[in-house]
Amino acid sequence: MRRPLLPFIAAALIAIAIPARAQNTVTLLNASYDPTRELYQDINAAFAKAWQAKTGQAVTINQSHGGSGKQARAVIDGLQADVVTLGLAYDVDALSRIGKLIPADWQKRLPNNSTPYTSTIVLLVRKGNPKHVRDWDDLVRAGISVVTPNPKTSGGARWNYLAAWGFARKKYGTDDKAQEFVAKLYKNVPVLDSGARGATTTFVQRGIGDVLIAWENEALLATEKLGKDQFEIVVPSVSILAEPPVSVVDKVVDKRGTRKVAQAYLEFLYSPEGQEIGAKHYYRPRQADVLAKYAASFPKVPMFTIDEVFGGWTKAQQTHFDDGGVFDKIYEPGS
Amino acid sequence: MRATTHRRTAAGLLMTLLTATGAAAQQPSPQPIATAAAATPVAPATSSDTARLVDELAARIEDLDQQLRVLQRKLEIEKEQAVEKAKVTPTVVAGREGYAVRSADGDFQLKFRGYVQADARFVGDGDGTSGPTNFVLRRVRPVLEATAFKLFDFKLMPDFGGGVTVLQDAYADLKFVPWLKVRAGKFKGPFGLERLESATELTFVERGAPTNIAPNRDLGVMAFGDLASGRFAYQLGVFNGVVDGGSADTDDHSGKDVAGRVFFLPFKTSKRETFTQLGVGLAATDGSQRGTLTQPNLPAYKTAAQQTSFRYRSDGTADGTSIADGRHWRVGPQAYYYVGSVGFLTEYYVSSQHVRRGTTATDVQASAWQVSGQWALTGEKESYRGIVSPRRNFDRSNGGWGGVELTARFSQLVVDDSAFPFYANPAAAARTSNDSVVGVNWFLNRFVKLTGQYENITFDGGAPNGGDRPAERGVFTRVQFAF
Repeated sequence: MRRPLLPFIAAALIAIAIPARAQNTVTLLNASYDPTRELYQDINAAFAKAWQAKTGQAVTINQSHGGSGKQARAVIDGLQADVVTLGLAYDVDALSRIGKLIPADWQKRLPNNSTPYTSTIVLLVRKGNPKHVRDWDDLVRAGISVVTPNPKTSGGARWNYLAAWGFARKKYGTDDKAQEFVAKLYKNVPVLDSGARGATTTFVQRGIGDVLIAWENEALLATEKLGKDQFEIVVPSVSILAEPPVSVVDKVVDKRGTRKVAQAYLEFLYSPEGQEIGAKHYYRPRQADVLAKYAASFPKVPMFTIDEVFGGWTKAQQTHFDDGGVFDKIYEPGS
Repeated sequence: MRATTHRRTAAGLLMTLLTATGAAAQQPSPQPIATAAAATPVAPATSSDTARLVDELAARIEDLDQQLRVLQRKLEIEKEQAVEKAKVTPTVVAGREGYAVRSADGDFQLKFRGYVQADARFVGDGDGTSGPTNFVLRRVRPVLEATAFKLFDFKLMPDFGGGVTVLQDAYADLKFVPWLKVRAGKFKGPFGLERLESATELTFVERGAPTNIAPNRDLGVMAFGDLASGRFAYQLGVFNGVVDGGSADTDDHSGKDVAGRVFFLPFKTSKRETFTQLGVGLAATDGSQRGTLTQPNLPAYKTAAQQTSFRYRSDGTADGTSIADGRHWRVGPQAYYYVGSVGFLTEYYVSSQHVRRGTTATDVQASAWQVSGQWALTGEKESYRGIVSPRRNFDRSNGGWGGVELTARFSQLVVDDSAFPFYANPAAAARTSNDSVVGVNWFLNRFVKLTGQYENITFDGGAPNGGDRPAERGVFTRVQFAF
């Protein structure tokens, strides 16, 4: 019975060798929502530099992008994301509720309910605003073609939908009227993309539609970089305060031994450098001084929160976007 | 900007139409209705009418343009969604490669395989008397293989051959890295080169004499893996321990066996194919076997016709029954070489078992070796797995005949003199068996193989009065369907 020692010795050597090899370099995967590609390219480069200067360890951050809901599903299904930076809190909640990958109180772990920056929803029209779109009301007019992604798969689309609903409820007074308004709006939507970036492609590159309902950062990106002098932003009379949250995925970082660097990565988003990078990519920074510095980039718009109008994400999701919810009732594919 | 463009397009179209209409009005028309229309006085179009018409046409063109763009975009999105869906949709495979269900990422898989070997054996004794002639379902084995999380493999293979149900394989593999995997359960011990070949890939109807010595299936745990790009393979495990050629489902509590095997393919990665399939190896087992009167734990060696040519004495009494009583080891080299359409396989093993009868004990050794060759007449490449798939399947409508392989083998089994006459009866147990085989395999396609071979087995000893057991000569045929 002495002979079987050899395989155990081999296994022990492997156990010792693998962690030793891994110490000088580390990789993270950030599963994010659709329009943040450019933001995190810059954040990743800046963080890698800062992390190496601080610890001597090289870090490579890989990105994965898609509709916020799809990304959450992918992480629940096994995508080994160390951090998630999603479009809305409900999708991060799913990691706790369904995937048991993070604790239920994940939002308390970082400042501002774990949302390092905010955004809002605006309207993007073609140069000269040929259809004279001024506010949400104009989106339900006959002959107006509206581009917005599918709220079943896109976090941004849910913000769009709720912004329109909130406007109608405020203006017309009841949820029934708001539903009627949103139903009319979606009758003007010729095509539903699965994510916000796809909708931008539809509007900007494929030349479809008169109005794109978009994240403010996506609209600013379109006017500044994707199609300079081809588009205009219309700031509606009221919109919604969008708070895209971030979280470490506890089960993954504990398994991969990356908690420390993943946590530092998210904290970096709140640092002056991280906030500046966010502002340059048209995300509204949380830090007052950085926000003041970039105030010209962000038009003033009255904003309501999801808690104020919809009673929070869980209720909004169940009422509007779950199977059999309001969206399923008002939207007819191909209409 | 888009509307302006369409307005220009519409204006151009309108001008073309007006010009064409004017030109047409000057031509005599064969159609009465056209003549009547031409005769009707038409009020000249005002500039405001033209502008309105241009605007209407521009709006119409823009509308059509949008509809076209939406349709194109919808198609684009459908394609993107189809690609996304394909990434997560499991695939069902049913075809030349077999039957399987696998997840889109390949991390999860369920494969269903199986094979049936139906034999007809016509065997006569060397002295002209009739021997065993029969039809046999040699193996009837459904095989279920599963992969979970890419790292874990499972295999389950019962055998219903001969009307008896036997669990042949039931094991799980944990694939840590290519050079370290762990297998646990019931499976073939790492020893005999021909024994380790799948039964569907055998060159002959039955394996050669060395397989009488190699352990068959045993319960245990084994580390194994490939190093140096597959040029070196190793297996090292701990098992309950079985008699020569034997399988077991339980532990006889006579100590554990350690079994190990190394195999080198030194030129496997060479660009020249001449020696890429030259493999040499060494295998050994060491352990202890102890028997009882009712279960002596000693082997019986069989011929190709599954007749017992050697067995130890056993009359149910302590003085008349030989039993295993201590150390049992095996060792031996093995090699194969395949190049182009020819291949050779050879192995030589020695097995030593401490045997006791009554109060007397000794070490009895048995040794066996074989050399076999095969030649694919139809030009297929030979390998350890035989002809995997013929160049042309058997299909008379396309002139295909399948693949044909000629085969030959000589193997010998020798039992040590120390076994006779005390531990084994020389009048019933042969000291030596010499087995010569020539045959042909016909691969109709990758699923169906027909085998025919002539076998001549001669014996030293094994008959009363110092005589030799009659030779076994016969024709062995097999129809194999394996998927």
